[in-house]
Amino acid sequence: MEEIIQHLTPLFKEISGYIYPNEIELHWSLLVVIYPYLTGLVAGAFILASLVKVFNVTALKPVYRISLLTALAFMLVAPLSLLAHLGHPEKSYEILLTPNLTSAMAMFGFVYMWYLMAVLLQEIWFDYRKDLILWAQKERGIKKWLYKCASLFSKDISEKALKFDDKAEKVITILGIPSAFVLHGYVGFIFGSVKANPFWSSVLMPIVFLFSAIVSGIALVLLIYMVVTPLRNKVMDTKCLDTLASFLFYAMIVDFSLEILDFIHRIYESEESIHILSELVAGKLQFSLIVVQLIIGMIIPLALIAGVKMFNTPVELKRLLYFVSALLVQVGIFFTRWNVVIGGQLFSKSFRGLTAYKMNILGIEGLLVSIAILLLPFLILYVLFKFLPPWGETHVTTQPESS
Amino acid sequence: MKLPWKKLPEQIRRLAVVSLFLVVLPFIVRSILVPSDFGKYGHYRASAVDEIIAMEIKYAGHQVCYDCHDEEVESKQAGVHKNVSCEICHGPAAAHSEDDEIELIAPRDRDSCPLCHEYLSSRPTGFPQIVSDSHEPMKACISCHDPHNPKSEKSTECEACHTEIANTKSLSKHVNIACKECHETPDAHKTQPRMFLPGKPVNREFCGRCHAETAPSDKDIPRIEMETHEEAYVCWQCHYPHLPEAE
Repeated sequence: MEEIIQHLTPLFKEISGYIYPNEIELHWSLLVVIYPYLTGLVAGAFILASLVKVFNVTALKPVYRISLLTALAFMLVAPLSLLAHLGHPEKSYEILLTPNLTSAMAMFGFVYMWYLMAVLLQEIWFDYRKDLILWAQKERGIKKWLYKCASLFSKDISEKALKFDDKAEKVITILGIPSAFVLHGYVGFIFGSVKANPFWSSVLMPIVFLFSAIVSGIALVLLIYMVVTPLRNKVMDTKCLDTLASFLFYAMIVDFSLEILDFIHRIYESEESIHILSELVAGKLQFSLIVVQLIIGMIIPLALIAGVKMFNTPVELKRLLYFVSALLVQVGIFFTRWNVVIGGQLFSKSFRGLTAYKMNILGIEGLLVSIAILLLPFLILYVLFKFLPPWGETHVTTQPESS
Repeated sequence: MKLPWKKLPEQIRRLAVVSLFLVVLPFIVRSILVPSDFGKYGHYRASAVDEIIAMEIKYAGHQVCYDCHDEEVESKQAGVHKNVSCEICHGPAAAHSEDDEIELIAPRDRDSCPLCHEYLSSRPTGFPQIVSDSHEPMKACISCHDPHNPKSEKSTECEACHTEIANTKSLSKHVNIACKECHETPDAHKTQPRMFLPGKPVNREFCGRCHAETAPSDKDIPRIEMETHEEAYVCWQCHYPHLPEAE
């Protein structure tokens, strides 16, 4: 009891206006902010990969495999935040065994499984199959067997088989694009379908989520490419960077337009909730929404990339500006998720008051666990890079790299 | 002759085996882990109903109370509390309905009623609400309101005109002393208040009925030695009787 009082007392001072008693404490914490952030990165990275396979954007070939492995690494970690938030991870399989078919949340199990098993893993498998066979022949000991198992003991690397791999990859990617849309659109749907919450309830929500996902995914792959390449003592492919930055720029324009459309729509509609929402945006969310999400995470990176495009920028400066922009975009998208998840719970359903969110440092819902969950994908990615090197030079191909 | 299976590309054959395993596996796991009676009545385990039935019943339901407590039930049925179940105030009564010896709670303090009647802006307009800190803070709710048939009628007695005094007295330990105990009041005072004034105690013995050392009153009441305590004055010349605690 004493612990609860100590936790709630500082919150009382933050409350303004009238709120219902069960609204003092937020039910969805930082971990629920991380979940849509991570799935967004997965969907975004995959859609970037699809640009190479389906839309033949050859300039992006150097980051094709990086994107796929990034999507996989983040995909594996995404449910951890939900498991940690819900508690009782030992019961989580039940949602898959006896799913409630009318529950949007239960559907996540299927969307996740479909995307992981039918799309992502298969695409990676087809792309790496030939390399896995060759690595298995070259390596010795455990590694040899690991590669053999990963290739499912496949042996055929005839031209016909490789052509089939390529075709299969294309088909899977075509299937994968709507799947990636569903994966992240679903997350937006979960929020957008809460009709009791005017901050969330919007049909635009899945689309806004999706485009912000594409933005964050592209920015993440750009960052990883820019960090990993110098670490490997290799030269960055400027054409690839330019193309990545261009796609980032276009996706941000669409994302920005959608968010502004949503904003104007709300103001024009002026439903009864508009007063409390304006109070929320002008008060508690002023820093995280207007300063971080809008100015730091959207307008500044847009201006930087536009500047690079308009002026003849030296290569080094260009790289620096791309790097800064992608970093700012990551911060911006993280706060986009923060503003949706936390912001949507800060106002009372009475529309007459605001509460506050007090983040814990320790504990399962705390900051440290969240940081660990955010860092874990990078560790997995490191292992994946070691086991499945995505670099062109070690990538045994029949055709030379276009870059 | 080649089997149709052999005609498939090698990759597909290998993936098909893995996929088949991954598709069949959940069905095997499901058949082992999902209880056989799951889904018999709905999206839950049917035997859970029996487990719930087997749990000890603590509440009897208000119909049971009617069998013995006719008077209270009739009174409650006539008033605004008719939809408030007996067990809301008196607690779970299943054991009591089986055995009279097990007594139920009967809240007589000021803690219970404000659970519903304390002022909250989210309560419906017109629902009787009080601010318990200022609403007769020294009195138990049941000393004015019958919980089985509560009424909040406007008073036609002294406090109707002497509200300020009544409010002051409500904060005092003298709250339960009726006005007429000290003020002898002719009936005509109500119609011609200035012509027929109420009386007030004129001697020290009046207060001494409770506060003298030898008075047969409650032991918690403060006592004085009548013979030596400021014998030249009437008590109310120094102590304000409506709030004697005041300095």
